[in-house]
Amino acid sequence: MAETVISLTDLRKSYGSVTAVDGLDLRIERGQKVAILGPNGAGKSTLLNMVLGLLAPDSGELSVLGGSPKTALTKGRMGAMLQDGGLVDEVTVGEMARAMAALYPKARPVEDALAIAGLSELRDRRVGRLSGGQKQRVRFAMALVGDPELLIFDEPTVGMDVEGRRDFWKEASSLTAGGDTVIFATHYLAEADSYADRVVLLAKGRVVADGSIATIKSLVPFKVVECTLSIADVSVMNDLPGVTSARTRGERVILHSTDSDATLRALMDKYPDAHEFEVGGVDLEDAFVALTHGEG
Amino acid sequence: MAAFLRLELIRLVRTPTYLIYLIIFPVVMYLMFVHVLNVGGPNPGQARSFYMISMATYGAIGMALFSASRIALERQIGWTRTLAVTPLAPRTYVISKLLAGTIAVPAAVVLVLASGVLLGGVRLTLAQWVLIVALLWLGSIPFAALGVGIGYVTKVESSQGLTVGLYFTLAILGGLWYPVELFPAAVRTIAEYSPAYFAGDLGWRVVADQAPRLSSIGALAAWALIFGVFAVWRYGRAAR
Repeated sequence: MAETVISLTDLRKSYGSVTAVDGLDLRIERGQKVAILGPNGAGKSTLLNMVLGLLAPDSGELSVLGGSPKTALTKGRMGAMLQDGGLVDEVTVGEMARAMAALYPKARPVEDALAIAGLSELRDRRVGRLSGGQKQRVRFAMALVGDPELLIFDEPTVGMDVEGRRDFWKEASSLTAGGDTVIFATHYLAEADSYADRVVLLAKGRVVADGSIATIKSLVPFKVVECTLSIADVSVMNDLPGVTSARTRGERVILHSTDSDATLRALMDKYPDAHEFEVGGVDLEDAFVALTHGEG
Repeated sequence: MAAFLRLELIRLVRTPTYLIYLIIFPVVMYLMFVHVLNVGGPNPGQARSFYMISMATYGAIGMALFSASRIALERQIGWTRTLAVTPLAPRTYVISKLLAGTIAVPAAVVLVLASGVLLGGVRLTLAQWVLIVALLWLGSIPFAALGVGIGYVTKVESSQGLTVGLYFTLAILGGLWYPVELFPAAVRTIAEYSPAYFAGDLGWRVVADQAPRLSSIGALAAWALIFGVFAVWRYGRAAR
């Protein structure tokens, strides 16, 4: 059995009358790449902040690398990129990375950390003169310079352009190929789809789904039926057998159906003008919306 | 800690407006007092060395106070959160900031002393100069502790106002702008117990060819303890 890296049992956290994390159980094993997904307010950041020891849970058990978050941090075994982690503007990228590396017992060579984060050419630039995406890469370098075995990323690619996001995940993948554990929260479902091997879906502070991407998709009891058709009011489609929702995107009519065969037959029968049919499984976004009851 | 302290010092020297305000302002005020306002009347020489100490003290406590209270800014921008997910202990961070602030204190002191020599004609022995720098450095310690407390008590907008307000109040009350001898009797009694007065007193005694009072050092230690307890209390609350 793989070693448990993070173990959470009946974890709870409230802010006044607002419950952010509501009895959450989660076990993460070494080497897993886990995406934490959920609508705003689902408790993603609260969960990660408790794992990092920045927030104390109201109740429940929490163990990180077999001890407290503080011990894991002090020993340099856990590194993190925070959503609201600020940087100081007056120092250069290289100076910052060197100072951070000195805090860790077995840090990577600073030049390696800068190269991985794509910062080698920005080494002598002051942090205050970097773009938002470049600053995010500095946070990435700071998280990895200590060579931790557990990495926590909270919305790591916010502020990056498409290319920057792709580079980030490419580097993160090769960086952690050696068996490091990664937990990340994201709004970009495509990132979870291409990088995570496990998805934990949160809603209202609870785990509503947990498994591989395929498992998550299979939890959704409908398929997508599409066709091209000019129609003034798409809501009449709701009367077709099996249809649970109907919408249009340009000329395309997109239906969610619990019985795609029956839907398709009725559609062909009733609307002879319809053409270019497509029937398929849901994508992660549809699964996400369905499983969190459309709160995305 | 050495690497982190280095980062703090780099930041300090690269914040020129802040340094200029804290180092140049006391020099400008010194020149204003002794050359424009011509304070001291019948005994200008004595006034020039008195104000040299007053303004050096003013510079020293400002440097200590402002360096430490910038913690409020760092909390607001999230730098302390970034550090919270590294092996750096919060206590080490505070100590590094205090050290960086106090390392800069002699810079503020020496510039005022130099203007005292060059523009005020003050002449002292080498031992006296060294003693003054050491004593003012010592005298700035309670203000560094006060700065840490302010850094953890307020948001950045109010912290700057509070720091400036306390800086001026304590400096004026301590007789750094006008000697406490000119204060009304009741105010003077309070003034002579205020921390900046004790810090100034250490240096004023030296330029008057007297030994520094041990009671002033003791009083500064007491103020350092009071501000230190305040800082630890605020810091402990913020950490929770």
